[in-house]
Amino acid sequence: MAKEPEYIRIAYKAPRPYDWSTGKYLGKVYAEAKENKKLVGNRCPKCQYIWLPPTPVCPKCKVDMGWDWAELPQTGTVYQYTYLVYPLWDPHYGEKWANPYPSATILLDNGTFYRHFLEEKDREKLKEGMRVQAVWKEDYNERGQGVQDILYFRTIEE
Amino acid sequence: MANRVAIVGIGQTHHTSQRNDVNQPEMVGEAVRAALADANLSIKDIESMFFGNMETFEGIFLPDHGMAAEVGAIGKPGFKVNTGGTTGGSVVVEAFSMVASGLFDVAMAIGFEKQDCGDTTAAITAAAVPNWAKGAATGAIGEFAKQALAYMKTSGAKEEHAAMVRLKADKGACRNENAHLRLGLKSIDEVMQSPYLVWPLRLMDFCPQSCGACVLILASEKKARKIHKKPVWLVDYEVVHQEPFRAGVFGDPTGEETYTQHVACEKIYKRNNITDVRKQVDLAEIYEPSNWEEMNLYEHLHFCGDGEGWKLIEKGITEIEGEFPVNCSGGVIATNPIGATPVIRVAEAALQVRGDAGEHQATRDVKTAIATALGGPNWTAMFLLKRSV
Repeated sequence: MAKEPEYIRIAYKAPRPYDWSTGKYLGKVYAEAKENKKLVGNRCPKCQYIWLPPTPVCPKCKVDMGWDWAELPQTGTVYQYTYLVYPLWDPHYGEKWANPYPSATILLDNGTFYRHFLEEKDREKLKEGMRVQAVWKEDYNERGQGVQDILYFRTIEE
Repeated sequence: MANRVAIVGIGQTHHTSQRNDVNQPEMVGEAVRAALADANLSIKDIESMFFGNMETFEGIFLPDHGMAAEVGAIGKPGFKVNTGGTTGGSVVVEAFSMVASGLFDVAMAIGFEKQDCGDTTAAITAAAVPNWAKGAATGAIGEFAKQALAYMKTSGAKEEHAAMVRLKADKGACRNENAHLRLGLKSIDEVMQSPYLVWPLRLMDFCPQSCGACVLILASEKKARKIHKKPVWLVDYEVVHQEPFRAGVFGDPTGEETYTQHVACEKIYKRNNITDVRKQVDLAEIYEPSNWEEMNLYEHLHFCGDGEGWKLIEKGITEIEGEFPVNCSGGVIATNPIGATPVIRVAEAALQVRGDAGEHQATRDVKTAIATALGGPNWTAMFLLKRSV
C-alpha cells in the first residue's frame, strides 16, 4: 500500500557574498566620506539640483551632469521619522535584527532630503522639526562604507 | 492602430503563507490549469507564454525554465519579466502587446511568487543602490511607514480611517475563498490595537507575504468571441517608471510632486475621454500594500480631490456595496504573492466585469473597471477593462 507523500523542505544556508563597484560618481562620495568626513553630491548644470546619490545624468533634465561637486551641509531638520518596533530579518546576515536607531528623513540645511538614523532612541524625545547634526566614525580605518561612515545624526541645541 | 485584446481565461491558486505541498512549478501549474479550464482551452491552443516573478525572492534562477514542463511551455515562444512590484502588470502588458500587435492570437500571462522559499525583505533592501542603503532600509515596511506619516500630514487622515480601510479589505477577503488573510475583523479597534511593526505602521496596516500564482489568457478579437461567451476587453494600459532614487528617500516626502500614478492615470483618462472617474468607471482593483497607501492612491488616481481620500472610506463609497467599490477581493493588504499580485488585480477586475466574482461581486453593475500595479520606487502600471467595445 502506497504511503501518503511526505512534504519535505530543504534548507540552503550558504552565504552569497557580493562585491559591488561604486563606479566613478558614487566612488567620489565614498572617497570624500573616508578621507574628509564630507557629504557630497553633484550639481545639475541646468536645474542646479544637487543629487545624492550622485548621478552621471540628471534624472529630471536628462542632461550630462559633468563633474560639479557640492558639499552638503551636515546639519538639518528632522522632517519625519519612524522606528522599528518588531524585529526584522537582517537582510545581509540572515539574523533577527532590531536596529535601535530611529530612521529619519532629514531636510539638510540646503534643502536636500536625506535619509539616515537618529542617535536619540528615547521615543518621548523624538519630534518633527528637531535639529540634528551628522556624527562620523572617528577611526579612519573604520570608514570606507560611504554614507554609513556617518553613524547617526545627533540632536543639537541652537 | 492596435488590435483589440480580450481576457478569455482567468485562473489563480488559493493564496497562503506556506505551501509545503507543492514546489514552485507545481504551484504555478495549478493556476495555468485553472485558466485553461476557465477558457475551455488546451495548452496546445496557447501560442506564447509570458512569466513574471522576482527571482531573488525565491533564489531560483530562471524559474520559467525550471517550470517549462509543468506549465506546458516547452517549444513555445515567450520570456520572463521582472520589474519589481509591477512585475505582474508588466507581464500582462507583454501578453497584451503580443496580441495587440497581431504577432499572436492567444497569449498567456503568468505571475507567481512562492515567498515561503526565501527572504523578501532582504531582496527588496538589495534593490536600493547596492552599497548605498545597506542596513538603512527596513524593506517595504519602513517605506510605507514613512508614506503613512506623509499621508497623515498632507491629508489630515486619522488612524481610524486607515483602520476602516483594513476592515473593508477584510470584509472582501472573507468573501473571497482565494484570499490569504481572512481575519473576520469586527471593529476598527482590532486594527488599531494590533502591534506596531515600524511606527506608525501596525501589523494589520500592512500586507502579508503570500505564496500564489495568477494566470490570464488574452486573445485577439476574432478568437476571443469564439473562446469565451463573456470576453472582458483590455482596452488600454499605461506603464510609468519614472521616479529617481535620491538620498534613500522613496518618492517625495512632502507629497507635493507628480507621482507615476498621476502620469499613468491622466494619460488613460484622456485617451478614453474619462473626465469624472467615479461616474465613468464602476470599480477599481488597486495595488495597496498598506491601508494608508490605499487612501493616498484614491487621490493620486483622481478618484477624489487631493486630501479627500479618507473621506471616501468614511462615507463608505469604496465599500463592496458602495457607489465606487475598490478592492472587493480584499486587495493586496489581504493577499500579496508579489509577482502574481498585479495579475490578480487585473483578474479580479475582469471577474467583476464578467459578474463572476461570486460572493465578493460588487453590488453595483460593473461595466468598466480599473486595475493598477505599484512597485518600488513608486512605479505604476495601469489597465482599463470594459465589458463591451
